Amino acid sequence: MASSYPPPFEGTGEVKEGFICPLCHKDLQSFYQLQDHYEEEHSGDDRHVRGQLKSLVQKAKKAKDKLLKRDGDDRADTGSYESFYYGGVDPYMWEPQELGATRNHQDYFKKHRAARIDHYVIEVNKLLIRLEKLTSFDRTNSDVAKIRAIEKSVVPWVSDSDVPFCPDCGNKFNIRNRRHHCRLCGSIMCRKCMDFVPLPLAYKLTSGTRESLCIPGSPGQSQAPPSGAGASGMGSRRGSLSSLSSVTSMLEEKDDEKIRCCHHCMDTLLKRQQKLEERDHMPDIVKLYERLRMCMDKVDEKAPEYIKVAESLNAGETTYNLDSAGGLRLEVQKYYELIDALSKRILTLGMKDDPAPTPKSLHLQKMIRYTATLFVQEKLLGLMSLPTKDKYEALKEKRKQEQEKKLQQERLAAQESMRKRQESEKNRSVATTNGEVPPAPKPPRMTKAGGWLPSADSKKTHSELKDPLLQQIDNIQSFLRQAREAQRTDEVAMLEENLRQLQDEYDQQQTSLAIALSQKLAQEENLQQGEIQRLEARERSEWEQRAPAADSRQPSSIWECSLDLGEPVAGYVEEDKIGEVTPKFERSPLSLRAFPALAGQEESPPRLRSLGGHVTPPSSEGPNSSSLNPFEEDSTPTEEDPSNPFFEDIQEEHKEVSNGKKEYNPFDDEEDNGGQEEPAATSLGNPFEEESSETSNPFTEASGDSPGVSTNPFEGDEDAGALADIDMIEEELLLQQIDNIRAYIFDAKINGRLDEVELLSANLRELQHTLQEQKKTH
Amino acid sequence: MNVTLAVKQYVTRMIEDSGPGMKVLLMDKDTTSIVSMVYTQSEILQKEVYLLERIDSQNRDNMKHLKAICYLRPTKENVESLIQELRRPKYSVYFIYFSNVISKSEIKALAEADEQEVVAEIQEFYGDFIAVNPHLFSLNLQGVARGRSWDPTMLARSTQGLTSVLLALKKCPVIRYQLSSDMAKRLAESVKLIITKEYELFDFRKTEVPPLLLILDRSDDAITPLLNQWTYQAMVHELLGLNNNRIDLSRVPGISKDLREVVLSADNDDFYANNLYLNFGEIGTNIKNLMEDFQKKKPKGQQRLESISDMKAFVDSYPQFKKMSGAVSKHVTVVGELSRLVAERQLMEVSEVEQELACQNDHSSAQQKVRRLLRLPGVCELDAVRLVMLYALRYERHSNSALPAMMEELAKRGVSEKYRKMVHSVVEYGGKRVRGSDLVTATDAVAITKQFLKGLKGVENVYTQHQPLLQDTLDQLVKGKLRDAQFPYLGASSLRDRYTPGGPHLGASSLRDRYTPGGPHLGASSLRDRYTPGGPHLGASSLRDRPQDVLVFVVGGATYEEALCVYNLNRSVPGVRIVLGGTTVHSTKSFLEEVTMTTGNISDRAGAGRNLSRR
Repeated sequence: MASSYPPPFEGTGEVKEGFICPLCHKDLQSFYQLQDHYEEEHSGDDRHVRGQLKSLVQKAKKAKDKLLKRDGDDRADTGSYESFYYGGVDPYMWEPQELGATRNHQDYFKKHRAARIDHYVIEVNKLLIRLEKLTSFDRTNSDVAKIRAIEKSVVPWVSDSDVPFCPDCGNKFNIRNRRHHCRLCGSIMCRKCMDFVPLPLAYKLTSGTRESLCIPGSPGQSQAPPSGAGASGMGSRRGSLSSLSSVTSMLEEKDDEKIRCCHHCMDTLLKRQQKLEERDHMPDIVKLYERLRMCMDKVDEKAPEYIKVAESLNAGETTYNLDSAGGLRLEVQKYYELIDALSKRILTLGMKDDPAPTPKSLHLQKMIRYTATLFVQEKLLGLMSLPTKDKYEALKEKRKQEQEKKLQQERLAAQESMRKRQESEKNRSVATTNGEVPPAPKPPRMTKAGGWLPSADSKKTHSELKDPLLQQIDNIQSFLRQAREAQRTDEVAMLEENLRQLQDEYDQQQTSLAIALSQKLAQEENLQQGEIQRLEARERSEWEQRAPAADSRQPSSIWECSLDLGEPVAGYVEEDKIGEVTPKFERSPLSLRAFPALAGQEESPPRLRSLGGHVTPPSSEGPNSSSLNPFEEDSTPTEEDPSNPFFEDIQEEHKEVSNGKKEYNPFDDEEDNGGQEEPAATSLGNPFEEESSETSNPFTEASGDSPGVSTNPFEGDEDAGALADIDMIEEELLLQQIDNIRAYIFDAKINGRLDEVELLSANLRELQHTLQEQKKTH
Repeated sequence: MNVTLAVKQYVTRMIEDSGPGMKVLLMDKDTTSIVSMVYTQSEILQKEVYLLERIDSQNRDNMKHLKAICYLRPTKENVESLIQELRRPKYSVYFIYFSNVISKSEIKALAEADEQEVVAEIQEFYGDFIAVNPHLFSLNLQGVARGRSWDPTMLARSTQGLTSVLLALKKCPVIRYQLSSDMAKRLAESVKLIITKEYELFDFRKTEVPPLLLILDRSDDAITPLLNQWTYQAMVHELLGLNNNRIDLSRVPGISKDLREVVLSADNDDFYANNLYLNFGEIGTNIKNLMEDFQKKKPKGQQRLESISDMKAFVDSYPQFKKMSGAVSKHVTVVGELSRLVAERQLMEVSEVEQELACQNDHSSAQQKVRRLLRLPGVCELDAVRLVMLYALRYERHSNSALPAMMEELAKRGVSEKYRKMVHSVVEYGGKRVRGSDLVTATDAVAITKQFLKGLKGVENVYTQHQPLLQDTLDQLVKGKLRDAQFPYLGASSLRDRYTPGGPHLGASSLRDRYTPGGPHLGASSLRDRYTPGGPHLGASSLRDRPQDVLVFVVGGATYEEALCVYNLNRSVPGVRIVLGGTTVHSTKSFLEEVTMTTGNISDRAGAGRNLSRR
């Protein structure tokens, strides 16, 4: 496992991992070797340090910029124009600009429209009411005079003498070109400018108002009649218009099946009719299209998820389960098929209908199909394939071997140089360094050895995970120490200045995160304490025997350690022990860890968090570590060697560190936990579960593997409920878990891992559900 | 200051404002070109815009399930069409965007037509120009002048275009214009008027140094558009014609069907983006590399695709492969055609002589070379005329002018009368009499030394030694050395406008007037034009700080050579951003048309034109 993480913002440049000397970039096998190397090679390089610092600060600034990551900056990266700059900027790379000026006329427009609409609505209603009156009696059986009388009563007719010319076409009225009155508004026009409202249309138009008048507030009834009826109505109207107008041209006095009206009234009525027809009509293409878009959205959501999984699997990592990945792939592919099928349906929509679709709608269908094809081409072909089972096993094996080899190497090297260091340390005056170093408030503890690099504990925890800024702070602090030792006051001042800068930056970056981190830490402690209580309940007798002795002896050695390797190691020890004593409990924190680990490889958030927890509130750790002392005790007595307790302690703990580490290795743990959790989580996040269950069955299959409710890690806990007051603790644990997951969600949101947020919130829901159930049974 | 991005952002906003669902984009003739310059079809399809329609097209069907986005210039016809459209809406809802300022009365008319309440948005989005490159825009206006003054409709359109650029970039500039050009001044005043009238719109965040709008006149530099070009974009435009980023290749012998019309857009064509400003030789090398890359990626025959992994690899790289193959065949065709034309028309030789004419000062050698080329049979009509025009412009007043002899040669070659007439037209358009600054002969000491040094250094590339006049103007501008006498500020001109000939300033102003060409214009107009008041300029000295954001507009059209020069200036001068615009972007052919349209009117109504210019 790499320990010193190179700043990720160096872009495409070579990324080095391991113990890299910051000055000559030489890769050294372990921390101690690196330290030796530095003392030998660079002890005289103080001047160089200054330049180094400058670049560090610059790097930090760059990192900050990167972190802030302004939108639109991407554009500058994409261009691959030749770079013969003289200082100006290529117009293609001008900084992004805001949207140009705009002006909105909405208000003014609406004001005028409102006035108009009011007028329009009144007019329409007036016409409809008159139309209703005109159609409310039996026209066919009444004689002309009677009809005329009724018609005249509805609206006053304009007197003939007032209108010598047709107001529409301007022709003079005479014997041949006779006057006609509009029955709806009473105005006069000539025959050519006259229109008819056929009775079916009139009935249809008035039916809406009639019904709504009869049963006010029943929108279902007052809605437009089915579109089929509307269409037939239209057809009949057209027919009657053409035929009747020719017939009535001779004798036009009796209007049996139609109502005479002017163009303007007719227009208004037709518009009204159209509106009624369209209100509820949703063409097939819209329905199909909506489904198409939904599938596309799904793909946009799922495809990146899949690609991430596939990439990880192809690298031989064990973060994800091959089966579930296959399921995911199938799912995405199903969406593609659906998109293809839907767009084909859209393309051929209405092809066989009798009035063939208009060329424009055909064009529209073609374009939708084309877009879908483009979409599928672009996205589907970008999906990488998964390794086969055998191949995956091979990949996994390979990666495991590599890692083990590296681990082995590291351990060997570490132990060897450890011995060396022990020797050299004896020669040093421990007291002076100890006295000189004040307990640093925020950054990780310095080693008493006064090294220029982060201490041994950081090797295990933070330096491999942490922010580059932190590393730099570390480095600068050690430089600072060096400078102090060398009594270079000017340099000390500069270094301090730099350190402050860096810390400010780090603070800024960290403040939001820190809340979540400290929360989480506190919760973890609570959890641990809860467990301790349980353990105490179980093994009280043993503890009581040993505790007094241990407490009396502990301070001397423990405090020594905590300066050096103490706390994190203690943390590990504790977890390690818990794991040994009650394996079932180990599962809960670990399986929790598995969730965020879905996304990360080396830098899985929980580890980062635990690091951050150690880093940010060290004060809270003091009591914690002392309260953990009993655990420490548990192991020390076994190999008690009173002659040199210090040496023993270190060696012991070192071993434990490696033990703990092994235990902690996400690649080991997650194989079981991750395997259980992931498929279940996926099925949780999948709203299409019912649909897809019969075809691609990765979900049911996978969940079959995991016991019972599959995802719930507390299932196991219930089995272990041999203890008496377990329910209380269970509940407490559940609450803590929920809190933890909330913190994870918060953290994931900050890091922008939305998929994780989804997974976590799904889990959260489930936990809450379980909690409620438990409360009920309680 | 990126004009392409400005328009693109406008269009994107329009589309996004309308929400999800199938959409149709309703445009007019102008906005169609405006949008097509910044969005490709596949891009706009991805935004659910499936239909692109013209507002004036008659055969649009009712499609109530579509949303309509209307992007229209606020012309009378468009408003009328839109009113008709709203009376009988064909789509479910309308999002209306005008590309420029629209009057209240027209909005009222629209509101009254919207009885069905289908309008959801009505806004002004000021993308009223064609964004060619990030730093180059055009208005696609040909023949803006009638004689020496504006065609009124063209002036109105240019003003609209220019103000919309200012609004899209959110700049409220100070304005300078070329004093020798009445058209530049008219446009400057017209733009200023709009800025004053719509002061609310132009209320942007003030910068320390205000942005600058510099308005120039094409007739000041008639040489640049006459030269053959050797950088990719300019060359394509000169030889094949680049119209809204599209080239028509249908005349190319043996062209395949899908390459009849190709699109060259730097936005989604990496090769083009990288080679836009490289010269022909470099493009040759790059296209060779492109081919080699392509060959490497190309699956080598069917038999190689036997194993499954081969197939997979092929499918994985297929979209990329397909895209690349499209780009490769396009550019190979274009470059192939260019080199065919270069060979056929002996452009290397022609261009060498052109450049010598433009940049060196050796009359006898120049005229010999021109006459030699005129006798070569391979040189085409256009190039022959072009050479004579350059000669005529360059040695206009030379005592030993060989112009009559050359004209004879042209006649002998059988060059059409139309072209021969153009030689005189060009001189009339951009001759010495018209020019405000000195295009060909250096007059002040600095320029002479510069030319001398240039001569000493030798020429790096014979074909690209010419620097457009604009280069010099902008160079002085960014250094803060551009002379007020030649390019006055508009705001400071109030005194001059009130100046009456015969006043106390007469002596001083005529002294300062070093460039006044002889001829009938000398009298009142030169006095008025050349006068620079001393007083107001002292107060305005802050304006003269080196401008950082500069908008240059060339009345009568810019060229791609000038675009390149602005591009290089942008890259070489820190802190300065320059955008170039023109009523159009000229090739030699379009420039000659412009000249014919302009000068044709001069001879038609010579008297009227002169009177107008004097005003």
